[in-house]
Amino acid sequence: MKKCLLILLVIASCTSPEKKKPIVLEEVSLGVKEVTDYPKYLSEWELFKEPMSTLKPAELNIFPYEINAALFSDYAYKARFIKLPKGEKINYQESEVLDFPQGTILIKNFYYPADFRLPEKERKILETRLLIHEEDGWNAIVYEWNVAQSEAKRVILGKQVPVSWTDQHGKLQRINYSIPSQPQCKSCHDLNGKMTPIGPSIRQLNRDNQLMTWKANGWLEVPDHELLPKLTDYADDKAALNLRARAWLEVNCAHCHRREGPAKNSGLYLLASQTDTYRLGVNKPPIAAGKGSGGLKYSIVPGKPDQSILVHRIESLEPGEMMPELGRKLTHQEGVKLIRDWITQMD
Amino acid sequence: MKYLSLLMLILVISCDQQQEEPIQWKSIEADLQTLLIQAQDGDTIDIPEGNYMFKKPLILDGLSDVVFRGAGMDKTTLSFEIQESGAEGIRAANCFNLTFQNFTVQDAPGDNIKITDTNGIRFTNVRSQWTAAPSEENGAYAFYPVLCKNVVVENCLAIGSSDAGIYVGQSDSVIIRNNEVYHNVAGIESENSRWVEIYGNNAHNNTGGILIFDLPGLTQSGHTTRVYDNDVISNNHENFAPEGNVVAVVPPGTGIMMMATRKIEVFNNRIHHNRTVGAALASYVLVEALGAEEGSQLDSANNQVDEAYDPYPNHIYFHDNEFRNKHWFPTFDSDFGLLFLRYFTFNLPDFVMDGIVPEEEEFVLCLENNGEFNFANIDAANDFVGSTTDWSRYACRTGSIAPIFP
Repeated sequence: MKKCLLILLVIASCTSPEKKKPIVLEEVSLGVKEVTDYPKYLSEWELFKEPMSTLKPAELNIFPYEINAALFSDYAYKARFIKLPKGEKINYQESEVLDFPQGTILIKNFYYPADFRLPEKERKILETRLLIHEEDGWNAIVYEWNVAQSEAKRVILGKQVPVSWTDQHGKLQRINYSIPSQPQCKSCHDLNGKMTPIGPSIRQLNRDNQLMTWKANGWLEVPDHELLPKLTDYADDKAALNLRARAWLEVNCAHCHRREGPAKNSGLYLLASQTDTYRLGVNKPPIAAGKGSGGLKYSIVPGKPDQSILVHRIESLEPGEMMPELGRKLTHQEGVKLIRDWITQMD
Repeated sequence: MKYLSLLMLILVISCDQQQEEPIQWKSIEADLQTLLIQAQDGDTIDIPEGNYMFKKPLILDGLSDVVFRGAGMDKTTLSFEIQESGAEGIRAANCFNLTFQNFTVQDAPGDNIKITDTNGIRFTNVRSQWTAAPSEENGAYAFYPVLCKNVVVENCLAIGSSDAGIYVGQSDSVIIRNNEVYHNVAGIESENSRWVEIYGNNAHNNTGGILIFDLPGLTQSGHTTRVYDNDVISNNHENFAPEGNVVAVVPPGTGIMMMATRKIEVFNNRIHHNRTVGAALASYVLVEALGAEEGSQLDSANNQVDEAYDPYPNHIYFHDNEFRNKHWFPTFDSDFGLLFLRYFTFNLPDFVMDGIVPEEEEFVLCLENNGEFNFANIDAANDFVGSTTDWSRYACRTGSIAPIFP
C-alpha cells in the first residue's frame, strides 16, 4: 500500500514535467500619461437620446443601417448607425465602401440579447466602436459599456468581458468576450495601409428599401439607371450555395485577404469577385502559415473539407492558427458548415 | 518513516533536473502599448531591464524613425507565451525607418516579430526564440519582414522556429549579416526577394542552413542575391515544420538550397558536415512534386495560374566555397537521403541539382574553385536515368554580381 503511494507520488511529481503557465506577478508602470485625444465617455458625443442604452439617435442625421452579410463576432448582435454631417451627402462607389464625407461617424454597437429567441427583449450592450472620418483620414475608437448600461467609457488597450446568453436552441452560452485594443482595429481596417471602413458598400447596403430611402432623404447619390450590385446574405438558405459561401468568405476574410489588404503576402484572395480559383485557395499551398497549416497541404482541396487548410483555420480557436486572427473566441458553426458544404460539392 | 525518507530520496533523484529558478515575470503591457500608441515620429521607446509577459501583440503602425530598444539581449525579455489574441508577438505595419534593438523576444504562438509594408527596418542585437525544444508547436518565423524595403538584420539570434529563423519575404534591398541561427527548420530564408546580401552568418544545426526560394502566386519574384562568407555547418536537425509549408520538403542535412530563383552568387562559404547535401539547386517543379499530396494530379498546374512565375533556377554562380563532410551517410528521414545513398553510396554529393532546367532560355550555372567536391545531377525529371556526377559542362566563370550596397 505504501509502495503504491510512493509510486503514485513519484509519478505525480515527475511524470508531468509540463511547463507551468507563467504567472505575471506585478504590473510595472513606465510612467505613461493617459491618452486624451478623444472624449473619455461615449455620452460626450451626443449620438443617442437618454437613456443611452435604447440607442435612439439623438438627431435626424444619425440613422441606422443594415448590411446583407455580417462579420462573425462571437454571435454578438450589432446595431449600426451613420452620423452624416448636416447637409452632406454620401457619394456612390460601385464595389468598395461608399465615399463618406469628412465629419461622418460610423457607429457600431455590439450587444447580446439575454435570450436569442427573444432578441427584442432584454439585452446587454458591451461596446460601441466609432470610425470617425477626419481631416487626416479615418480613426477608430472604442467604448466599453458599464453594467448599469448608462454610460460607456473609452478603452484603449482592449479588455475581456464575461458575457452569457441563451442561444437559439435554448442553451446557455458563456464566453470572455474580447474588446479589441485600439491598435488592433487597424489589423483589419487596413486598405493599402490606410485605416478604412469595411462594411458599408453598396453591395452590403443594397437590401429592402434602404438605398432608395436614403436617396429620397438626400443622404446618398445613387445612379438611377443601373441595377445595383448586391452581396448575398450567407444566412439565407434559399440563396445559391456558391454565392453564400463566397459572401461568407468575403466578409470574414477578405478585409485582409485581398490584393490591397494586410494579408496580401499570402497570395490568398477571398473577395466574392475573385474568379481565379488558385487565388481563392484551390490546390494552393500556404505561404507562411506555420502551424496554421494544421499539417495539411492546400488551402482548399475540392471535395475534401477535412483536407483543406481553410476549414482547419476557421474552425481553430488557437492563436497563431485561427482565422480570422482577431475578433472571435468561438467557432462560427453555421459558417464552417457552409464552407464545408461548399468545398464538399466542388469538383 | 523509513518509507518517507526513501520516498524523499526518490523524489529528489527523479526530479533533480527540474529545480530551475522560476523567472519573475512582470507586466508592462498597458504602459508599453500606450507608449506605442502615443509615439511620435522620431521617438525612442526604451524598455527597461526585466522579464515581461504579454497577452496581446504589441502593435506599431504608421510611425517614422522610431527606435524600439531594450536594455540588452540578456537583460530585457519580452515573452508572448500566454498570448490570448493575435498571431504575432510584435507587429509593425506601414512604417518608415524602424529600429529594433537590444532585447529578447520569445514564445509567440505565431511569429515573434512580423513587419509588413515598411520601408526601412533594422534589427540589431535582438534574440528571437522559442524556448521549448524544437517542435511543430513552435511559431513559424522568429524575424519576419515581408513586403518591406531596405531591411537590415544584423547581430541577431534566431532559435527554434518551426519555419525560418530569419525570413525575408517579397522584400527589396535586404542585408542579413553576422547573425547566428540554429534549431530552426530553415536558418535563413530569402523568399521572392530582390537585391539581397546574406553574409557573415553562422547557420548551424538547422534542418537547412540558408534557403533562397521563389514561390508562385506572390506579389513579386525574387532575383539578385549574394550569399558569402557564411558558416553553414551541421544543418542536420530533423525537419519539424508542419506539413504544407514549403520548408517541410527540405531534407534534414541541407546546407544551402536555391529554388527557382535567378541571379544568385554564392561564394566564400564554409559548408561543412551537412549530412545530406552541402548545396542544392532545385526547380519548383521538383519541390511541388515532393510536397504534393500523394496521388494528387497537380502537374504544376499552379504555374499556369501564375504566368509570370518561372519555376526554374537560372544564372547561378557558385564559387570559392569550401565543402567538408565527415558524415558517411545522409540522413535517412528524407527521400533525398535514401536516394543519394542508393545512387552515390560512399560518395555523397556536395552539390546536387535536380536537372530540371528551362527549355526556352539558356541555362547558366557556373561552378568554379570549390575545391574537391562531389557533384550530382540527379535528372529528376526522368526518374534519375540520366543522373551524372560529371560537372564539366558547368565548369565555368561568369560575371559576379556587383555589391548591392557598395
